[in-house]
Amino acid sequence: METRDEALISVKGLCKYYNKGAIKALDGISVDINKGDVMVVIGPSGSGKSTFLRSLNLMEHPTDGTILFDGVDITKKKIQDENGKWIKLDIDQHRRKMGMVFQHFNLFPHMTILDNITLAPTKVKGVSKAEAEEKALELLDRVGLKDRAKAYPIQLSGGQKQRVAIVRALAMEPQVMLFDEPTSALDPEMVGEVLDVIKELAHEGMTMVIVTHEMGFAREVGNRVLFMADGKLLEEGTPEEIFESPRHPRLQDFLSKVL
Amino acid sequence: MFSISGFEKTFEYLDLFKQGLICTVSLSFFTVLFGFMLALVLAVMRLSDFRPFRSLALTADGHEKEEGFAAALSRFNPISFIATVYVEVFRATPMLVQLFIIYYVVFANVSFPTYKIFGFIRTDRFIPGVVALAMNSGAYLSEIIRAGIQSIDGGQTEASRSLGLSQFETMRYIILPQAIKNILPPIANEFVTIIKESSICYTIGVQDIMYAVSATKGATYRVAEPLVIATCVYFCLTFPTSKIIAYFERRMRRGDKR
Repeated sequence: METRDEALISVKGLCKYYNKGAIKALDGISVDINKGDVMVVIGPSGSGKSTFLRSLNLMEHPTDGTILFDGVDITKKKIQDENGKWIKLDIDQHRRKMGMVFQHFNLFPHMTILDNITLAPTKVKGVSKAEAEEKALELLDRVGLKDRAKAYPIQLSGGQKQRVAIVRALAMEPQVMLFDEPTSALDPEMVGEVLDVIKELAHEGMTMVIVTHEMGFAREVGNRVLFMADGKLLEEGTPEEIFESPRHPRLQDFLSKVL
Repeated sequence: MFSISGFEKTFEYLDLFKQGLICTVSLSFFTVLFGFMLALVLAVMRLSDFRPFRSLALTADGHEKEEGFAAALSRFNPISFIATVYVEVFRATPMLVQLFIIYYVVFANVSFPTYKIFGFIRTDRFIPGVVALAMNSGAYLSEIIRAGIQSIDGGQTEASRSLGLSQFETMRYIILPQAIKNILPPIANEFVTIIKESSICYTIGVQDIMYAVSATKGATYRVAEPLVIATCVYFCLTFPTSKIIAYFERRMRRGDKR
């Protein structure tokens, strides 16, 4: 692995247990996510891929392990500031720098598309309404949905909803984008339009972590591929290494089933 | 049982029923008003994230432990606990007992000014009646509010929090605007329920419709006719109200499909 930049997110020994350790959703995951990485996470269902991704912005609180984001261990409740004083860790501040896209879109149904996108920038970052709307329209234009700005989520197709969800996350200008099976809830003919948007983001150099079942897409867009099973990180490598010459028997077995 | 003359005699006291009607409606109105405010407070208390012993579960380096006695204690939320006890007690005991406790025990030594609303509603009976009904319906309404809030898909909270909105901002901009649609119809229905339940306030001397029945009974020695009239008045009050609510409920549902 080439070391291009310092790690943006550094995960060490991440564990997530349920039922007091009877179920190990994550069992000691350690990985560095560097700036500009497009990291694709694959694996059978129940392997902990989504739990891993959701731990990165603390949607799930890990049982053990550390996640350094921007040099801060965000799994802590309290941290020491420069003067050594203990202060409460404000997770909201860190989540603002991480965009997340969900399997089921989770657009806000009571707001227009435009309001969905401008809500966080105006309420959280203090951007003016006009400025936020201009930015939102520009982003919507890029995903080909500028004319739907005044529509409500219920009026959009699944693919359109997911493209709006991506724009909503991008409007906060995050340092990293987390995709949790972004195309799994879509009709097959709509998968392409969403993947195209993600591909474009990858070409622009956006750091991304993508959990997906789309193997062709994983191979094409990722520069690193992680293979997870039973809460463990079993193999890591470039798309060529993972898909051409898989070493771990579980990975070989998995690929023989999905390819 | 019934007789024309009985009705004629009863109609002489129609003014009592008119006053009773006004009393019942204002009793119900103030009950729902104060009950709703109480319910809002209770629901917020139950959904709050106030944990004073939270720091007990922190390890030396600032992580939070998940197991053990300290962790269990750190999850204890006294505000939510108090609200839960309140709701459970008021839902598990009879309304009549609550009313008597409030009128004969709590307000035993409180002297209200002998002011009369509209010239006939005695405040020294009316206020304890409203307090008892409001405290009871507040417990039920808080469950309606809580259920309405919890019915909103968890993905909405996740999406909002992932954008960096705080718990309060998520409640304010995302959850409540959606929950209000689920909350309003049952609250209006609670108003109808209270119109009927308020009739027990007659036992402490509130001059509502049932009081008119007993007064007419004492004056005319007729029972059936005043009761028939009381039944009609209650029905004319609640039936149209619930139909109107059902109409608006349907209209709000239609809005969802757009």
